[in-house]
Amino acid sequence: MTVKRILIIAPAVLILFLIQSYFWVPTYDEQTRGNPERLHEFITASTGDASIINPILSADSASSQIESMVFEGLIDRDENLHFRGRIASDWEIFEEAFFYVNEAAHIPSAGRLNAKAVADMIRNAVEKSDTEDGELRASLDCIEEISLIAPRRFTVFKDEKGEEDKHNNRIKININAPARIKLVLSRVDQDLFRNLEKVLGKGYFSSFQGVKYLASDPEAGDSKLSEYAEELLPSIEHNPILVFHLRPNVIFHDGHLLDAGDVKFTFDAIMNPKNLSPRIADYEPVKAVEIIDPLTVRIVYKRLYSPALATWGMGILPEHLLNGQAIRNEALSLGKDPDSFSIRQSTFNRHPVGCGPFRFVEWKSDQYIKLEHFTDYWEGPPVYKKYIFRIIPDLLTQEMEFYAGTVDNYGVQPFQVRRLKEDPRFQSFSGVSFGYTYIGYNMRREPFNDVKVRMALGMAIDMERIIRYVLYGEGERITGPFVKQTDFYNHNVSPLPYNPEAALSLLKEAGWVPNRAGWLEKEGKRFQFTLITNSGNDLRKAILAIAQDAWKQIGIDVSTDIIEWSVFIRERVNKADFDALILGWSMGIEPDLYQIWHSSQTHPYELNFVGFRNREVDDLIVKIRQEYDHARQVKYCHNLHEIIAREQPYTFLYVGKWTAVLDKRIVILEKDELGDRAYKKIRATKTGNYFFDFNKWIKLPEVPVFSMDY
Amino acid sequence: MLSFFGRSAIQKVITLFFVSVVSFLIIHIAPGEPSQVDPLNPKFTPDLVERFRKEFHLDKPLYYQYLLFYKDLFTGKTVSWKDNQPVLKKIWERFLNSLPLFVVGTIITWTLSFPIGIRSALSRGGVYDRSVTFLSYLLISIPGFFFAYILIILVVNFFHVPVIGMETFGIGDSSWLTLFMDRVWHLLLPSVLGATGGVAVLSRYVRSQMLEVEGQDYIRTAKAKGLTPEIVHYKHALRNALLPFVTMFGLILPGLIGGSVIIESIFSWPGMGRMAYEAILSRDYPIILTINFVSAVLVLAGTFISDLFYMIVDPRIRL
Repeated sequence: MTVKRILIIAPAVLILFLIQSYFWVPTYDEQTRGNPERLHEFITASTGDASIINPILSADSASSQIESMVFEGLIDRDENLHFRGRIASDWEIFEEAFFYVNEAAHIPSAGRLNAKAVADMIRNAVEKSDTEDGELRASLDCIEEISLIAPRRFTVFKDEKGEEDKHNNRIKININAPARIKLVLSRVDQDLFRNLEKVLGKGYFSSFQGVKYLASDPEAGDSKLSEYAEELLPSIEHNPILVFHLRPNVIFHDGHLLDAGDVKFTFDAIMNPKNLSPRIADYEPVKAVEIIDPLTVRIVYKRLYSPALATWGMGILPEHLLNGQAIRNEALSLGKDPDSFSIRQSTFNRHPVGCGPFRFVEWKSDQYIKLEHFTDYWEGPPVYKKYIFRIIPDLLTQEMEFYAGTVDNYGVQPFQVRRLKEDPRFQSFSGVSFGYTYIGYNMRREPFNDVKVRMALGMAIDMERIIRYVLYGEGERITGPFVKQTDFYNHNVSPLPYNPEAALSLLKEAGWVPNRAGWLEKEGKRFQFTLITNSGNDLRKAILAIAQDAWKQIGIDVSTDIIEWSVFIRERVNKADFDALILGWSMGIEPDLYQIWHSSQTHPYELNFVGFRNREVDDLIVKIRQEYDHARQVKYCHNLHEIIAREQPYTFLYVGKWTAVLDKRIVILEKDELGDRAYKKIRATKTGNYFFDFNKWIKLPEVPVFSMDY
Repeated sequence: MLSFFGRSAIQKVITLFFVSVVSFLIIHIAPGEPSQVDPLNPKFTPDLVERFRKEFHLDKPLYYQYLLFYKDLFTGKTVSWKDNQPVLKKIWERFLNSLPLFVVGTIITWTLSFPIGIRSALSRGGVYDRSVTFLSYLLISIPGFFFAYILIILVVNFFHVPVIGMETFGIGDSSWLTLFMDRVWHLLLPSVLGATGGVAVLSRYVRSQMLEVEGQDYIRTAKAKGLTPEIVHYKHALRNALLPFVTMFGLILPGLIGGSVIIESIFSWPGMGRMAYEAILSRDYPIILTINFVSAVLVLAGTFISDLFYMIVDPRIRL
């Protein structure tokens, strides 16, 4: 009976055919041990694919991981987090400061002075060495050059938005600028003008009336005009200057020589609104990028902005492949409209060319990205020949591939740490991550506006137990908003102790006493609020329950809510419509806290959503932003950290720890001048980055034996 | 016949229009915004967010966005917001990757379900039938991802061969036969896993259909005529029991574009399901809407095809 036979034979044949394919597949052993090429490849895995490999456009971590291999910036940070030259061999930072001569001001012991006299007066002060004021002396000592800029007239046109009609009104402003004095400083000095007031008299700079030198046509309102005066004739101006000296003979992967033009081009590409670069905010304070010669770039800033240096770690783009002409040609060859075509649309983003240690070879979406070492890399090619970035979305499969030897490193999950860290087959690294989890209180609302209440809430939660049981011990306490491994973090601030009794007595001081049912009450009102967090994060969910229980035990009636991320952000966080919430911040190394803690950032949609306002903190944040001297910045940061820990706007919970395991056969290859080879164990840097020496890594056929653990 | 085609075509176009409107509205009304307009990243200044909105036409009224989107879709100009790649090209690449998984999975489902179902119908109440029933319910109730993990761990630990991805990673230059067989091997686990649920469900259908037909009068007549049981079961009963499956066959078409998020993620298979899932997470509207539209088209085409099949195999409805 044919039908019956077909019904039985067809599936049988199919299954046999599928199963026999097993005999054709290379086993893991053939791939790893049996394959000599495998020793020259480094294979890493990631759960997500890169989206756009272009350092000025990407905003995801997978893309930046590849970019850090393919592209190279002017500088980066060494193992101690100090800046070190990459494409730039060295650099200088100094300042040009300007101020308008305030002819109306009365100078003590001299009266009203004209420009030349003021310049002479400062010159005298610099030369005279009998100043006793140390701060003033320090400021005067860094003045290297004083020059006069003659008065000048110029005209500016401003487009003003009409309020009733949508037409723009064009306003013509004639400016009759007074003389200006230019000071060249050997270092950036944010206190310069404050100290110069000791010479020129208090209020010399602030009493300067820019409006008097402005005339507008048609007549603009007084307030509008003084706004323009502020912008066009600022009494004082700091122009920090960065000069980078580039390394000669750095070449791109296509053989083109890198020069200062590429640096300027990268900056212009970021600032070009057509490219929609998410990095634009970092470079907004730049006034001009000037090419002095092919190996020197001079960057002038509009104002004091100390995070500026770090921004030049940005990968440099090849101008010859992406300039206006190249993009235009590409648009035309693809049949697209050249006017709307930008770098964002270019195929460059899928075939990047940079001057980093690895050259781009191939990208198969959601499968892998292959890179090959660049033989003409300026620091000498990396020892590994290939770098392969596999996309394996599932962590269990990643783990299996790691055991099988087809992936070289694996990021261990917290519950696996105890098992894998001691595994003799692997070398393991661990560190503290750059981010913390916190409970934030809405300080606009009662009773969170009382520091005693916030302190008491923090003391009622046993953090050590959360770390032990929720994080499997893979976390550390944190007391403030800086990265724990940096100098900016103040280790003298001790974390809040777990002490429910002390919490209760603090609450009592704040007026909250237990009623007959055991709930805390103040003036007949029960202590009651809602703690919220976003869904999809199991850690936060667990903390939510633990905090609720801990607070209930001291008599606070807490209800909880878990809300979908986008609703959570849009309806609750952005509109500041919450009592308390659990969230996390990831941090950068730069200690700039303006957006999260400055009191000007408390409006809806801004990041200081807890509504923290503290004048002292505002002052310190601005000072940190403007300070270029590391030691002083550290001092301010420690101070800021103390104040925030004292005020407890957040209950700082913990920073997570990460652990990664790596094939034990991978070591560092050191070559001395004679060409002798020596192997060294891989060491993680201060921040826990074990990839720091990646270019020197080598995989040996056998596990090496080190005589001593150094 | 012609009028049937005409009517059906008009109906389907109208349905498609409503599907496009509703899916467009749902996606835009749903909370969350494209990751480029993510407000909690301090690097994104309000100014930049505004510019992204403009670029994506999110500042325009909804009906205008709708028109723009479908205009771009039909002229093939839609690009993904995530990486500026043309959407149709991306979908086509992923479609080609998902296709073998779908085809092999479907073949396994359909070739296995029939013998299993028929056999258990014929031995109704026997040991075979009971154990198949038990197994079917077991397979239906075990979550796919759990089953997948168990299988992966077993195969990797006992056979020491790679199972994830579309081919052995770094297989390089080998003969075409090895490459082909390697791909077949990598298809085996995910497609078997994808098919288990299907086999379990479909064999149950086959069983109940067979039982229903076996109870009909004409089967009794056939038996009474003295026909061999083989002829009765496989010619008279099976043919009539097949009718409902013709409809089902047309409806598997949309499965082409759906893919399976879980299986594809576990096996690192660069297929449609994963792309759609990631697009939803990052609110990549062009990708989501295009996939939605294409699958709507496929559903309608599938129903059309099954109507057609039905007309061919069942003369009763050919009016």
